Amino acid sequence: MNNLTDNLELLTPEFALAGLAFLVFVVDLFLPKDRKGFLPWLSIAGLLALIAGSLVMLWDEEELLYDGLLAVDAFALFFKIFFMGLGVFIILSSMDFVKNKLDHQGEFYGILLFSILGMNIMAQSRELLTAYIALELLSFSLYVLAAYAKGDARSNESALKYIIIGAVSSAILLYGVSMVYSTVGVTKFDDIASALALAAEVSPALWVGVALILVGLMFKVSAVPFHMWAPDVYEGAPYPVTAYLAIGSKAAAFALILRLVAEGFVPAGDRWEQWQLIIAVLAGASMLVGNFVALAQKNLKRLMAYSSIGHVGFILAGIAALSSSSDLASNGVMFYLVGYSITNLVVFAAIISFFNMTGKEMIADLGGLADHQPFLAASMAMGMFSLAGLPIFAGFTIKFYLFTAVATEGLLWLAGLAIFSSLISLYYYLQIIRQMYIEPAPAADGGGDLLQAHPALTQRPSLTLLTVLGSGMAAIIWLGVYPKPLIDTIQAASRAILP
Amino acid sequence: MVDLVWFQLLSAALFAIGIYGVMARRSAVLIVMSIELMLNAVNINLIAAASHMEGIGSFANFDGQLIAIFIITVAAAEVGLALAIILRMFRNKSTVNVDEIDLMKW
Repeated sequence: MNNLTDNLELLTPEFALAGLAFLVFVVDLFLPKDRKGFLPWLSIAGLLALIAGSLVMLWDEEELLYDGLLAVDAFALFFKIFFMGLGVFIILSSMDFVKNKLDHQGEFYGILLFSILGMNIMAQSRELLTAYIALELLSFSLYVLAAYAKGDARSNESALKYIIIGAVSSAILLYGVSMVYSTVGVTKFDDIASALALAAEVSPALWVGVALILVGLMFKVSAVPFHMWAPDVYEGAPYPVTAYLAIGSKAAAFALILRLVAEGFVPAGDRWEQWQLIIAVLAGASMLVGNFVALAQKNLKRLMAYSSIGHVGFILAGIAALSSSSDLASNGVMFYLVGYSITNLVVFAAIISFFNMTGKEMIADLGGLADHQPFLAASMAMGMFSLAGLPIFAGFTIKFYLFTAVATEGLLWLAGLAIFSSLISLYYYLQIIRQMYIEPAPAADGGGDLLQAHPALTQRPSLTLLTVLGSGMAAIIWLGVYPKPLIDTIQAASRAILP
Repeated sequence: MVDLVWFQLLSAALFAIGIYGVMARRSAVLIVMSIELMLNAVNINLIAAASHMEGIGSFANFDGQLIAIFIITVAAAEVGLALAIILRMFRNKSTVNVDEIDLMKW
């Protein structure tokens, strides 16, 4: 056992991120009300500095910290950069909304930074308790953010539903941890793997423990049949928080699941194969339920919630296809997470700027958007095409890579199901494009001209949102046409977690 | 020493009562109390397992107690947050009955 304070400097990015969050809280106390607009820029500058710092400091590092509780490796670095980059874009797209619609701007960004810290540690942790604490840091921040519109009963309701479901799922996860601990006496992922592989006969208590841990995590990523909270929470939460829930929290939960499965279950050999089928069934159910129920939605946020449940199904299919013989599935999962997050970011940035202009959130309200806001409509259309998986956009390459991986690993039926549900999803994504480009503009509430009721519709979206839309669209095309550099990075990250 | 299985039975029973409470109670505050019950069932399980476990060398295996301390702390924070959100709900809607908290469905 090495000394616990060895290599502590490798955690500098995390310490600095916590410091940045506290700094935002403190600076917020001293800024006058009209100068709060400084805080998001402070957070963005801090995050960019941290991204650069981590890249310089942690490049090619392969270390275990605290006797193996935390790993500093290519996988952790990849997700760290990814989460902090997402944080930058989420802050950029939430600035206008937070300024105009929410109280207590400073704390919003501080809490957002804390949740990014939780996500970073989730990608690094190699032990159940550490993973749980990091997960709770993320979840607690999200509960607060979901309740952020204090006077709005819908935001309260969404936060109440979220915290109750979140706490129950944490309790289930912890009960699984306690079952695993009481049967094998270890909580580190690699120790669990050797306990699973070595035992002549795995006791039922251990199976129950592993199952409960998986159920707890499935709640967090809202896989069917543990998905019922997601649409309500997404609908009620303030817009940037919905975007963050759909993009960040899911990616972080999948980073944790990926490491847990790759380090804890896959090395157990045929004992992992017994689990593959169960995860594959959950994946198939998520794809079908998410995409079919999305067909009936009228509210944009609920539509995105069900669409994200469908995408969770695709990613879970990749998790089910993980194997010790090849890194194809784990590459596919990470590639999908990146491409899906960027696409979703563009879609949500477009929805947020539409909401900032009109305060409306139904799909029918999008009518005529292409006439007043051609750029917004174009970016939303591009995001929808990418989500549906049409070529030259990121959505095509990520789906192609992931489904190929799933099929190669012997889950051909699941890949077929994924392609089928992907086709179904095309219908509701195209509905939105039809609404924007073909349908006429709806009348304003109580009759009258829409443009007169909402003069903001004739002005261009704010510069920050345009930045997010522009760079997101560029990234979608780039990933759709030339994904090789990203895939090379992802392969290095995969090698760090797979046996 | 009492056999480990009795503790596990107690913990499983408490956990089941907690889940029942979450599903059957109508008041949000009582739901939060039921969640506490679930978390304490986990603590019993962990502490009993740790005290029945053989250590490595001269060290006792006390990971279970450690995890329990963390869970107690996190649970306290969780209740604080949940009560704050319930209070907001009560200010805005004058009810904490979860049957009436139904602005969003399907």
